[in-house]
Amino acid sequence: MTPKGNQPRSGDGRFAVWIGATAGLFLSTVVVGFVWLPSAQPGAAALDWWELICSAAGWPTESESFYPNIAGTPASTVSWTPATRTEMYTGDAARGASLASTCKNCHGSDGVSADAIFPNLVGQSVAALYKQLEDFKRGKRNADVMGVYVSDLSGQDMLDLATYFASLPNPFLDKYPPESPDTALALQLIEKGSPARGLAPCSACHGPVAFTLGAPGLQGQQRAYLEQQLRALAAGTRKNDINQQMRSVARQLTDAEISQLSVYYSTMPQ
Amino acid sequence: MYGSSRLILAHFWAAFAVFAVAIPLGVWQMWVRSPLHEWLPNPELYYRAVTAHGTTFAYVFPTLIAMGFGYVACVVSLGRPLHSMRLAWLAFSLVIVGAVLALATVAAGDASVLYTFYPPLSGSPNYYLGILIAVVGSWIWVGLMISHFLRWKRDYPGLPVPLAMFATAAGALLWSWTSLGVGAEIIFMILPNAYGWIDTVDPGLARVLFSWTLQAIVYFWLIPAYIAFYTLLPQAAGGRLYSDKMGRVSFLLLLIFSMPIGVHHLYADPQIGAGFKFLHAVFTGMVAVPTLLTIFTICASLEIAGRLRGGRGLLGWVAALPWHQPIVLASAMSLVMLGLGGASGLINMSYALNSTIHNTQWVTGHFHLIYAGAVVIMYFAIAYEFWPHLTGRPLVSLKLVRLQLWTWCIGMLATTLPWHYVGLLGEPRRMAYFDFTNPLMAPQAFWDSMSAISGLILLFSAALLLYILIASHRTQATVMDTPRLSLAVEPPRSLPRSLNSFGIWILLVTALTIANYGFPIAQFLFLDNSSVPVYSVEVP
Repeated sequence: MTPKGNQPRSGDGRFAVWIGATAGLFLSTVVVGFVWLPSAQPGAAALDWWELICSAAGWPTESESFYPNIAGTPASTVSWTPATRTEMYTGDAARGASLASTCKNCHGSDGVSADAIFPNLVGQSVAALYKQLEDFKRGKRNADVMGVYVSDLSGQDMLDLATYFASLPNPFLDKYPPESPDTALALQLIEKGSPARGLAPCSACHGPVAFTLGAPGLQGQQRAYLEQQLRALAAGTRKNDINQQMRSVARQLTDAEISQLSVYYSTMPQ
Repeated sequence: MYGSSRLILAHFWAAFAVFAVAIPLGVWQMWVRSPLHEWLPNPELYYRAVTAHGTTFAYVFPTLIAMGFGYVACVVSLGRPLHSMRLAWLAFSLVIVGAVLALATVAAGDASVLYTFYPPLSGSPNYYLGILIAVVGSWIWVGLMISHFLRWKRDYPGLPVPLAMFATAAGALLWSWTSLGVGAEIIFMILPNAYGWIDTVDPGLARVLFSWTLQAIVYFWLIPAYIAFYTLLPQAAGGRLYSDKMGRVSFLLLLIFSMPIGVHHLYADPQIGAGFKFLHAVFTGMVAVPTLLTIFTICASLEIAGRLRGGRGLLGWVAALPWHQPIVLASAMSLVMLGLGGASGLINMSYALNSTIHNTQWVTGHFHLIYAGAVVIMYFAIAYEFWPHLTGRPLVSLKLVRLQLWTWCIGMLATTLPWHYVGLLGEPRRMAYFDFTNPLMAPQAFWDSMSAISGLILLFSAALLLYILIASHRTQATVMDTPRLSLAVEPPRSLPRSLNSFGIWILLVTALTIANYGFPIAQFLFLDNSSVPVYSVEVP
């Protein structure tokens, strides 16, 4: 590249020095950062040169030597890919209604259960209901009770059922229990979380502030059911929460907090 | 000033007008989350204020100052008027329109996405559009600066381009290249999402593109301060610039090394390979070189001035300097803050040490000390230096000016040093409230209160600045000298091409950027399932 103007050519040698120095710095950094440092990592002995460079570049590799001991099963077979997300809109509520008669025996004809141990199905999103059905069916969640009901359901059946129950009018929408000193701890957790323990506010995922995909609504949920589930998550006997999202929260809750949260959510006025 | 006073004053007034709005927001944020205030009932208000404060100080205030001061450097150093006032006014109007659109959207609560607007957070398209319009306005300024640089070289072939113009052109080139990252992110990823044309976004790619802009933008803010060090300070101190060539080398090094280093903001991002993080860490270390060269050259220039004024002995020249001159005082304060902030920056860029302070209040402390401290105090000094020339009226009181500079320096140090400390204790940044009753966080309560109270000092200083500028603008008009820039001890008569042009350096910057950013960006084209649905913060 020649700049305009008739400047003296005396300085041209400096370009070569500067560019050479910069290129030298770049190349030596690449050797150190892409070969030497990764080769000094624990477990790098099993990797060849190309795998070392790929690992430093962050390129996913299929090499067996790269992931020597990864075992385990996923918490849920449902994952929130764009495809699943789109699928959540394809359910048929009318067909779901025709399949729902068995469900209503325990969960109530309007989705509000008469027995505190059975959860309400009203006020839930399609994604939340679908994920739990799928998890029961795949054995990701304890299905001692639900197993017989879900084993024959197809994917479309579960989607239609979820769509039907999600479409029921929610009597707890925008309702809040009166403020009471008995639920002050719970209200703090719901609205503000507990920053020092790294706990996000409940309302950031379970509403009413925001709903994350697949997170159930809690307004008006049955007290005994909530308490039982929080304890199961804390003890690790329920483990269908993706990335241990809820287990890591529930483990840190005190008994008083669990009980207050259950009381708070279950005393929503209808 | 060569017929551009109105244009330049418009830039400075607009900049200080947005400054007047955004400073109280910053002070308020510190106050409401400190132990001196109840918890906010609605954290959204906090994030709205952070977004407005950050957007103003990242995209509007420094851009207007850099543009206005660029015109000053251009007309004063070349000694001739701007050749296209219409384009300059168009650029100014676009920045203003963009800023108003973006900030009005934030004020309405539709874009509390913070100034980094990392996806999948998503706000109203008007916010992003506003920023884009402002950036496009600044691109017109870039074109104007480059064309003035080239025209002058064409008219005076073989002569050295004056240092102030050379440095301004370097800053313009730096901005044009680095703003492409955020420009591409907004145009190709964020706006299509915000308008609902596509429903997923790749947060990893968005963050890499933003990092392209995020580091070098700081050097774009810094360059006016460095130009003031090299071309205003030595003369104001009563001496000469120690070396004109050293200045050129520093600006070229800033141009080359500030760009391909942004991944040091992404050390915790899983999408980037460790090799690239190391590469960017090493090149980030290289930007310390032009700063150290500058500190050396400026101290040498000040020593020349001090000795010319009769200073004797090892340090006697320091006492002999004209400390009553605002720019001398401001430069010394700036160098102190630059030194402290630079040291904390070395921690940030170190791949291993970064994990200690990543996303803590330390980071906020670092960039406020460098930018709001070292750089902005030089913006004040630049305004004080040129206000009489631009308005044709003397400053209302040098005593008040010194009080303003002292309160800003002390206020900023007392605000940001405690932030560094609480960051080390683990306090996260960008939180609307802290539970100081928790024994783990209780030790931070005192320091957060100290920052909040120091914020009031800054508020006072900002109000004093505005008073001085307004009051000076209303005094009796007098005849002012034409402003002059510092001469070097040995002014260059002719320069090697490498220190008087940018051609090869642009190629080098491009090559380095491709080498350092090519793969980290290109890999996203081949990764599956890396896009996620956006999360809208708009008020329904």
